[in-house]
This record gives sequence, structure tokens and C-alpha cells, in this order.
Amino acid sequence: MEQFFQQLLNGIAWGGIYALVALGYTMVYGVLRLINFAHGEVYMVGAMTGYYVAHALSLGREPSLAGLVVVLLAAMGACALLGATIERVAYRPLRGAGRLAPLITAIGVSLLLQNAGQLVFGADPKFFPPLLASRESFRVGALAVSNIQLTVITTVVVLMAGLQLIVNRTRFGRAMRAVSMDAPAAALMGVPVDRVISGTFVLGSVLAAAAGILVGLSNPKIDPLMGLLPGLKAFVAAVLGGIGSIPGAMAGGLLLGIVETLVSGYLSSTYRDAIAFVILIAILLYRPTGLFGTA
Amino acid sequence: MSGDLLVLDSVTVRFGGLTAVSALDLRVGPNELVALIGPNGAGKTTAFNIITGVYAPSAGRVVFAGREIGGERPHRICRLGIARTFQNIRLFAGLSVLDNVQAALCGGQRSGVADVLRGPGWRRRQQEHAARARELLAQLGLERFAEARADSLPYGEQRRLEIARALATGPRLLLLDEPAAGMNPSEKEALRGFIARVRREFGIAIVLIDHDIPFVMNLCDRVAVLDHGEKIAEGAPEKVKRDPRVIEAYLGADGAHA
Amino acid sequence: MRRAAFLAIAAVALLALAELALPQVLNRYYATIGVRILVAVLAATSLQLVNGFTGQFSIGHAGFMAVGAYASAALSVYLGAGWLEALQSVLPQPLARLAYFPLPLLAGGLAASLAGLVVGVPSLRLRGDYLAIATLGFGEIIRIAILNVDAVGGARGFALSAPAGVDLRYEGLGMIGAVVVLSLLVMARLVYAPGGLAFRAVREDEIAAEAMGIPTTRVKVEAFVVASFFAGVAGALFAHAEGYVHTNSFTFVRSFELVAFVVLGGLGSFTGAAIAAAGLTAAPELLRGLGEWRMILYSVLIIATMILRPQGLLGSRELSLARLRRRPGTAAAGAG
Repeated sequence: MEQFFQQLLNGIAWGGIYALVALGYTMVYGVLRLINFAHGEVYMVGAMTGYYVAHALSLGREPSLAGLVVVLLAAMGACALLGATIERVAYRPLRGAGRLAPLITAIGVSLLLQNAGQLVFGADPKFFPPLLASRESFRVGALAVSNIQLTVITTVVVLMAGLQLIVNRTRFGRAMRAVSMDAPAAALMGVPVDRVISGTFVLGSVLAAAAGILVGLSNPKIDPLMGLLPGLKAFVAAVLGGIGSIPGAMAGGLLLGIVETLVSGYLSSTYRDAIAFVILIAILLYRPTGLFGTA
Repeated sequence: MSGDLLVLDSVTVRFGGLTAVSALDLRVGPNELVALIGPNGAGKTTAFNIITGVYAPSAGRVVFAGREIGGERPHRICRLGIARTFQNIRLFAGLSVLDNVQAALCGGQRSGVADVLRGPGWRRRQQEHAARARELLAQLGLERFAEARADSLPYGEQRRLEIARALATGPRLLLLDEPAAGMNPSEKEALRGFIARVRREFGIAIVLIDHDIPFVMNLCDRVAVLDHGEKIAEGAPEKVKRDPRVIEAYLGADGAHA
Repeated sequence: MRRAAFLAIAAVALLALAELALPQVLNRYYATIGVRILVAVLAATSLQLVNGFTGQFSIGHAGFMAVGAYASAALSVYLGAGWLEALQSVLPQPLARLAYFPLPLLAGGLAASLAGLVVGVPSLRLRGDYLAIATLGFGEIIRIAILNVDAVGGARGFALSAPAGVDLRYEGLGMIGAVVVLSLLVMARLVYAPGGLAFRAVREDEIAAEAMGIPTTRVKVEAFVVASFFAGVAGALFAHAEGYVHTNSFTFVRSFELVAFVVLGGLGSFTGAAIAAAGLTAAPELLRGLGEWRMILYSVLIIATMILRPQGLLGSRELSLARLRRRPGTAAAGAG
């Protein structure tokens, strides 16, 4: 039984990470109806940035929370810039060019970042410096909660709360929701659509950067192609929750993480990667709009 | 009334809480030209969509040539002999005018082994097909556009092409959804003559939707008026034009028709 | 079309003859690239049938290549070796191999088309983005499923090993070229026939097509099944030329590449997809001197094309020698 709760905890931690990345997909789809295939690579750049910054500041030698925060902020900054640049250079020229052209371009950007990543960072895997000395934080009965898991879950919760605040309580959030619902009408109402879209990309990229750092903490081995499969799975999570729906992405990510971990733990780990896609097909066939989507 | 080609028997269509069409009765004989008119949102296009199989009726029956067709798929209903045009033109824009017609002419066929092997008779059959398509275009005055892209045609010709394409399926009943939309008075006049000629030369039944009463006068045998999903009047155009309920429906709705 | 058919048959005949000369003339490196190009051309043109001609956005096509590759390889290794050996005892070796080779290709194609049916029927009910995601998902499921089948090597990959004296590999550029040309001819004939207008009608306006008596779902599934058949053949060609298969050759990155070929060549043009596939497969190889930069150049090309010339190279027209000869500025005839 403790095995179950241990797995559940792992699943929740992973789910939180998927959710952070899924949010980026869902928000961009909401405002642009575009599947930003390059988003997984933004997550990768976040992890890589964290790695280089941590090394530059020699944070690996003395693990500390402050170091973690610095690394997080650096990664978020870098990815915010990256996300905004991608939108400006690759997607904005294609606004209004139908659905296919931006999708192909997104694929092109994804390929570009993967290969540029291999060139710039080197194709070999790197090891994320231990920003926190891994140790057990506390126990609930037989359930051991490590400080890393605690950090991951706490960070995810804080970021999600922050996002909810932005989306529901700020003018920007209102503008974003308006553009998601009806972009032309929003434009007519004076909403600066271009800036809102840029901001959406920035927001999503910031969350993806955080996800990259959290993964670096939990699974220190990182490489330039690390964004491919997790990116795709996070996308599945967004579809599971209902593409375009922010609570959907959160729920979808969490659910995917939990199911993946439980199935992998109890049934077979070789099928771990397939779970996401089986869920995808099931959702598309029985409820394409996802858990929280409106039909 | 067993000679009727199309019978709508108390057809009702509900979408969630909204009743788009309510207990509609309509009969169309083999060579009749009937107009379905009414203010915007009256349910006219929904009625067409029911007949052509886009929606299934929530209640009531749709009978065509003695056979129940309610809920059948649109392509099967087309094979049975009902063709239509659309309120917003739906041509195969990227294809040539000739290809638009040929696609409809061969709607039931599909390419297969015979097309891969292209034995002796193939070329001849191909040419026969193309000839039939061109004949149809000629009959409708569109033959000079045969090779042009469908969306490069002037608006009036596009409307006519949509009708030609529908006729290529060999229907017994033709449904025209606002064929005169967006036309100026002289274009409308030309279209009226065109529709009358089609009815005569092809010997088919036609139901047309419009909200312009003068347009349907002198063209149609009978007019049925819908308002808020219900039939409020039916009869000869002159009689319907003077029906007080019809006048109220129009004046009440958008206030500028006679 | 007729002239194209004659040219194609002539090309096939030439290629079959060249089969004898090429191994001596072409060095190994170029022969390998040649096979890769031909496989890419077949895979891309088969995808064009679905994406370009029927207008359905399928982005998991590499999965069907994988099914074809693995099914054909399994047939060859488990049954084919014996058949080939038997054939070689009654026929001279080149003839025996020629007689055997179509079998794994057919097996690969059929297996892949079955997969196409299984994927297509549920997926083609979805529209637009959802269809794309579904095909992507299925492509991944196929890949991961294959990865877990030990009988075909699992994570180690699958080698076309056979007892001594029997060589299951087939790298004859001439014959491979002939297969690809014939396949292209078949697909082109299916599309450019009166009944084939149905595909394009579905692409242009599904609702109108349905109203004109075209059974749209059936047409979409047919396009999908035919396309997956030829993708399977492409996979089988690849497997038998390399002598080894691994699912790493059939990831969604490969699917994306195929989509890129189709779009860059022009949605709705077989020749466009073929040219794009050939060019973009040859270029990285020939540009090997650039090292890592070639893939970057490749992805920049994709992005630039979409922004500057979204209709791709040929738009929805086929390459036509007649049109090339015409002076620029003369009005061209309507859609081929």
C-alpha cells in the first residue's frame, strides 16, 4: 500500500511538470489555434540554460535554495525571450495564412532548435548540478517525501497559482481570454492582439523553463533532444484536459503523470511511453473536446 | 396525393433546447416549382438540410419517391435523386469548371484497378464522360469557361455552375438555397428565366428558398411561408402575398418587404 | 497523362536494364544515397495522396513505413530465406533474387495498408487538428508497439540475417527505381481519373462533395489505405536495402520530414513532392561537408518557404514538360 502512495507521489510530481508544459501548448492554442510543436524545445532550452548558469555560478558545489531561485529566474528569462522571438519571427508573418502553414513552420522551428541545440550544447548528455542535496524531507507513515519532490510540487503549485492570478485577475489575463474567445472582436474592442499573443508565448515559455529546471533537479541527465517525447506527452495532456482550457491543461498533466507512473510501476515500464498516446486516441475517439473542453 | 415526389410529414427538428422546424408538412409533385420563403431564421435552410440528410428529423417523416429517407446520409440521398445548391456558394474552388461538373457526374464511381490498367475501352469511356459534362455546360451556357478555375468565374456564373453541378448528379428534385442572393435586379431576372428553363428542359421538381417575394412571383407554382420554424401560409403566390400573417411576419421581422 | 505513362514505362524498362550496369558504375556511397532518395520519394508521394489530394492532414505516416519495413523483414527472415534458397537451386541467382524480391515488398505493403485501415477508420471521423493529432498518436503507438516485439528484435533492431549463400538484402538501384516509378504511376492514375476527382472534391469542400453523391468517409479511408500501402512498400525497400531495421528510423521526426516534403513540393502535386523529397534527402548527404549545419539549413529552408512561398514549389500542379517549354507569361491551362 505504501508502494501505491509512493508511486502516486511520483506521479503527482511528474504530472505537475507535464502540466507546466501543457499550459504553454493550451494557451497558445487558445489565442492562435496553433499547435506550437516547438514548445518542447523551449523546455529543453530552459533546462540547458539552468545547467550553464548553475555551472557559471558554481552553484553545484554548495546546494542552496537561493541558487535554485537564481537558476529558475535565469532560465525563465532566457525562455521568455526565446518564446517571444519564435512568435515574432516564425508565426506572426503567417497570421491569417490558414492552419497548415503555421503548423509546418512550427515543425521547422522544432527541428531547428533541436539541431541548433545539438550544435551549441553538444549532442552528449550533460549532468545537471545538484542544486539541492537530495534528502528525505519528512515522512507520513511509511511514505517518504524527498525534498526534491517537495520542491517540485511546491514550485508547480506556486506557478499555477500565479498563472490563475494573472489569467483571472489582471487586465492582461482578461485580454488573453478575450482573444481566445474571439480574436477579431477583441481587436475591434481595442485589445492589442499582437501584444497579447506575444505575452501568451512569454507566459507559456516561462512555465516551460521552470519545468525544465524541475526536471533537471529530479532527473539530472539532460540532452538537446530531451524536449521531443516529453513535449509530445505534455501536448497529449493538454488535449486530454481540453485543448485551449487552462484548468484542463493542469488536470490533464496531473492525470497523465499519475497514470503513466502507476501503469509503469504496476504493469510494465516498457509501455510507459505508449500510455500517453493510447490515452490520446481514446480521448479523441470518445471525447475529442477533452475533459474540460466545451463541445 | 400518392403521385407526390417529396413528402414532409409533420417534420420537427430540435437542436438542444431550440426547435428550428416545427411539425412541417410539405408536398412537392414531380415537376412542380415550389418556393419556400420566410424571414431570416425561419428554418428554411434547416428544412433543406433535413431533406438532404445533413440532419435527421427529431420527429416526423421525410418520404421521397415513396421511400423513407429521414436520417440517411447525404451522399445516399443524392444517389436517390435529390441534389442541392448552398446559400453560401460551395463550389470546388480549386478545380476547373469542367472538373466540378465531372466530379458530380461521377459521384458514385470511384477510381480503381480499371483506371490503373487503362485497358482498350478506357480512353473512349473517358472521352464520353468529358463530352457529357461539356454538353451539360453548353446547355447551361457555361461551356466557354470549361477550363477556367471555378473560383475565377463572375459571381452570377458561379451560381449557375453550382446549379449545373447539382444537375450533373441526375436528380429528380433540385433544391436551390437562395440562388439569387447577392444579385442585382437584372441578374435576378436572368436567373429566373434560367430556373424556369431548367425546370422545363430537365423535367425535374424544384424547391427554392428565397426571402424575396417578387422574385418568386410568376416563377413558382406554389409558395410555402415559414416563420419561426412553422408553416404559416401556403398557396399560389398572389394569394400568399396578401395573407395578413405573412405580411406581419415580414414587416414584424425586418420591416421592408412587400 | 498519357505521355507521362509512356515515359514512366520507358523509364522502368531502362532502369531494369541499367540494373545490370549500375553496380559497376556507381560507387557504394552514391548507391546508398540513391536508395534513400527513392524511398523518400515514394513515402512522400504516398503521403501526398492523403494530405495534398484528399486534404486530410495526416502527420504519422512514418508509422506505416515502419509496419512495412518490419513486416517485410520478418517475412524475409522467417520464411523468405527458405524460399530464396529454393529458388536459387532452380534458377540462376540474379533471376531467383528478382523473382523473390517482390514478395516482401507486397507483404510490407499489405501489412501497412491493414494498419492504415485500422488507423484510418476511427481517425478520419475527426477533422483538422484533431485528425492530425490522432495520426501522430497512432504513429507513435505503432512505433512503441514494434519496439516491444522481441521476435523482430525489440530495442536492438532487426537484422536481415540469413543462412550462408542466401542474401536477403536488395540494393539494386535499377529495380528499386522501377518499383518507385511504377508505384507513382499507379497513384497518379488513380487520382487523375474521372472517379479520382472524388479525392480532390473532398479536399475542396467536403460538405458539397457529400451532397453531390460522393461517399466522403469511404473516399478518405481509401486514400489512407492506398497511401499506407505505398508507405509500407517504401519501408520494405528501405529495410531490404539497409539489411537492418530499427524503429529509430521511423519516429515522428521522420513523419514531420515527410509532411515537410509534401508541403514544400506543393500540396496537390506528385511531382512537387517527389522533387522536394529527392532534393531535401540528397542535400544533407551531399552537404555533409557542412557538418552539423546542414540540418539547420534544412529547417531554416522549411520555415523560409512557408513564410515566403507557402504554396510550395509547384502549388497544386504537376511538373509538365509542355508547360516548361511554353514561354513564361503565357496563360497556362487550368488545373492538371
